[in-house]
Amino acid sequence: MSDQEQLLIRCFASIFPGLTEEEIQNSSTDSVGIWDSLSTVTLAAVIQEEFNLEIDPEMLPQLDSFRAFHEYLLQYSEQS
Amino acid sequence: MKLIDALRITQSPARDGLPELRIFLACGFTPLHLHTFLAAHLRNRLPAIRSEIRAGLFGDLIGNIERLKSSEADVLAVALEWSDLDPRLGIRSLGGWRPLDVADIVQSAELNAGRLLRALDAVSRDITVVVSLPTLQLPPAFTTRPLQSGQSERQLHRILAQLAESVSGLSGVRILSEQKLAAVSAPAERYDLKSDLGAGFPYTLGHASALGDLLANLIENRMPMKGLITDLDDTLWSGIVGDDGIDAISWSLEKHSQVHGLYQQLLASLVAAGVLVGVASKNDMSTVAQAFERRDMLLSNEDVFPYEVHWSSKSESVRRILNTWNIAADAVVFIDDNPAEIAEVQAAFPELTCRLFPKGDPPRVMALLEELRDLFGKAVISDEDSLRLSSIRSAGAWRDANGTSASASDDFLRSAGSRICFECSHAIGDMRALELVNKTNQFNLNGKRYAESEWRQFLADPAAFLLTAAYEDKYGALGKIAVLLGTRQSDRAHVQAWVMSCRAFSRRIEHQCLQYLFDEFGVGQISFEYTPTTRNGPLQEFLKSLVGGSLKTPVCLTKEMHSAKSIPLFHRVEVSVHV
Repeated sequence: MSDQEQLLIRCFASIFPGLTEEEIQNSSTDSVGIWDSLSTVTLAAVIQEEFNLEIDPEMLPQLDSFRAFHEYLLQYSEQS
Repeated sequence: MKLIDALRITQSPARDGLPELRIFLACGFTPLHLHTFLAAHLRNRLPAIRSEIRAGLFGDLIGNIERLKSSEADVLAVALEWSDLDPRLGIRSLGGWRPLDVADIVQSAELNAGRLLRALDAVSRDITVVVSLPTLQLPPAFTTRPLQSGQSERQLHRILAQLAESVSGLSGVRILSEQKLAAVSAPAERYDLKSDLGAGFPYTLGHASALGDLLANLIENRMPMKGLITDLDDTLWSGIVGDDGIDAISWSLEKHSQVHGLYQQLLASLVAAGVLVGVASKNDMSTVAQAFERRDMLLSNEDVFPYEVHWSSKSESVRRILNTWNIAADAVVFIDDNPAEIAEVQAAFPELTCRLFPKGDPPRVMALLEELRDLFGKAVISDEDSLRLSSIRSAGAWRDANGTSASASDDFLRSAGSRICFECSHAIGDMRALELVNKTNQFNLNGKRYAESEWRQFLADPAAFLLTAAYEDKYGALGKIAVLLGTRQSDRAHVQAWVMSCRAFSRRIEHQCLQYLFDEFGVGQISFEYTPTTRNGPLQEFLKSLVGGSLKTPVCLTKEMHSAKSIPLFHRVEVSVHV
């Protein structure tokens, strides 16, 4: 697992402390009942601070799973 | 603090059985990360409290405060922004910035400021309120260049200044210093436009953390320190008085030693606010006495008590001063310019707050003065604060007379001409009584500390009583020195809190307090919500002397038991208020 992925898991764990590492990697708004719009905003804020990047607010509706956030980070690092 | 750390702190479970502190966070925006940071900083500052934070409706700060019932919260935390005075002063509302609109904005801000003041006035009677004034900049709503502060902008600032001044005068309200906030959160780094537009949360994470920390600090409202022990050479003044001579020591601009003058000035101010200042110096006392006779000294000879000026160790001086003051080391600050002396004293008194006086480094001296204000700061100076030093000076006569036999003590007490004035009421505004309960350790029934809201709510019970005792004798007045808080239940009085200042020991005031309860309340029994603490030995000994043997909570004392143990009391008793 890459450092980036490990840090992303820590970010998710700070919002969803009840999930295991495996559950986090498979998490989405559908699979995690307590994942609401507020969770997405908080997740985005934590990830921006931890990865020192800016997430376009218009992207937030599409960032609905761990995988989506991970892919966004990969694209961001390729572009920068 | 980073958001990920704040989330981790708030999500770790609180210990079971901790007392709860209910906080209502009033803000016109989505509380989001401010809520998280406030909770995390509170957890760090108050680990023995379980804080619960609740917020109101979005966009209605004033309405939320108006609707808040005192039974719903212990503390109200207000994060005010300009848009709470008029939505057009924020960027989420489109209501017009034409000159006529701006005039209307000013008018509406004035009305809303008045409404907010009335709401805070009402709520602060029952619960503690902490307020941060607008932290974000005004939008470009005015016709003037942003460089120029025009009339409308000045009118808005005047409205805010008047609001802040009025609110600062309300008992139970604490306003966050904008200057202190600016020192940890630069104004240009506070606003997050994207977050404001997208999520309705206008603060950057850094600003939210800084504001949350300072609001938590205001909520914590730490009790001020009581005493300061200072060195003299290269601390209170520049130079070594024994070597350089009395005229060569200095604390002035001309001699490039102004920071020592500022230090003296601060100490004199602390003394006027009731702080005890003692001197621990390795010097010759006659030389020091002459130095204190210099007319340009800002700290006078009368301000200092006691002087421990000799060649023994500094820790020995500190021990003697603490004995004279009869206060614990954790309520005292020690200041010296010599790191070796600091280390020696700190090793002997680990609980003492020791600080190096950074001679020759003015910025660090200013930082020290700021820290001293933080350690000793208090919002209100009471009558008792001005009496403290004189009563400690007169305590020597008591110690001399009272350390002998019981009969000698009787004679001394009889001749002291003592007078006790009792006040018994539901007075929620008696902050001296609350302060005494929250800072007294030795004669303290259980060590419980009260939040202002808890205190007020207790006294709202019709069965509750607050008994205070003020004392004076021919040696001087001690002021209000004893507090009993409890409830009256048919033939019994239940005492929940009982404290007495250590300055009032040996005067049999505690016996007179019990006599008052039995006589004036007409009860046959008094029960005490007693808990042993590591420091309430004097209280424990007193209760044991009355009930005999070990103490079990609640400790019960009948009128018969009290009569059997009665000792002669010589006070003239006055009752100024009895409700």
